[in-house]
Amino acid sequence: MHIPDGYLDLSIAGLFFLLSLVVIVLSFFKAGKELQEKRAPLVGMVASAIFAAQMLNWPIVGGTSAHFVGGAFAGIILGPYAGSIAMASVLIIQALVFGDGGITALGANLWNMAVVDVFVGYYIYKLLERRGVFLSSAIAGWLGITLAAVFAGLEIGISSSFQYSIGVTVPVMGFWHAVLGIIEGIITGGLITYITDSRPEIIYTRSKVVS
Amino acid sequence: MMGSKRFWIALGVLIILTPLFAYLAEIVGYSEPLENVAEMLGVEDDQEYTGILPDYTVPGLDMASGTLVSAVVGTALTLGFALGVAKLASLRKNPGDKGQ
Repeated sequence: MHIPDGYLDLSIAGLFFLLSLVVIVLSFFKAGKELQEKRAPLVGMVASAIFAAQMLNWPIVGGTSAHFVGGAFAGIILGPYAGSIAMASVLIIQALVFGDGGITALGANLWNMAVVDVFVGYYIYKLLERRGVFLSSAIAGWLGITLAAVFAGLEIGISSSFQYSIGVTVPVMGFWHAVLGIIEGIITGGLITYITDSRPEIIYTRSKVVS
Repeated sequence: MMGSKRFWIALGVLIILTPLFAYLAEIVGYSEPLENVAEMLGVEDDQEYTGILPDYTVPGLDMASGTLVSAVVGTALTLGFALGVAKLASLRKNPGDKGQ
């Protein structure tokens, strides 16, 4: 899902840099109050675990591989603002240190995985929370990653290198990640259920931060 | 919270698994949907910047060791970076309170 350099027109790359910057800067300020509740270490812990988990590429039938992305997971544990900061940290380190995701494409990658996946994941979870922790977090993980992929498809599909083949890129990205996203959903659901059972105060909606 | 032993053990397990998954990835040679759709449309990336540890390898080290070192370095850097930004955010909100 990490877009490399050369896929996006610079105007598209620039637009998404701007959009991501606005949301992440806003998140930085919004997260400030919540993080005073000694939750700052949790942001580091969630980000580092997501970085390590993203290094595990699962080979899937049909010649396709995928890895856990974790945006919804971060959003559910940390809330959308701190979750977005955690995901942005992962993506910045990946791009700068490991060349995973392009420098010019960083804005788009941030938008897909540190904004869309996190915010969609968090709000879907919050909306469905009463229907059960596993179900709500699994759907959040699945829908978060699927919509992130649809955005990735949009970004490349409106770029000239992809000959504006938006009619191909969006369905292909959306379909494959909707299928692969089932695994993301199951992992997200399993982890959130485990944490809710053992340390419920860690989960954003159950912490003192949200009352 | 940082004292959560189960968390650090789980993180260690993820890191130790990275060379195995890197081998698996190389054996099967599968690629992600994004790469597949790019190939379908004949698009190639033109990424010049490859990072300090290109694609999770360490120049001069074999794949398994390079992946393991990348995992340790990357995880530590991400932990430090995210923690730093989060601390900064909490300090900014109320400068009188040191965020503790």
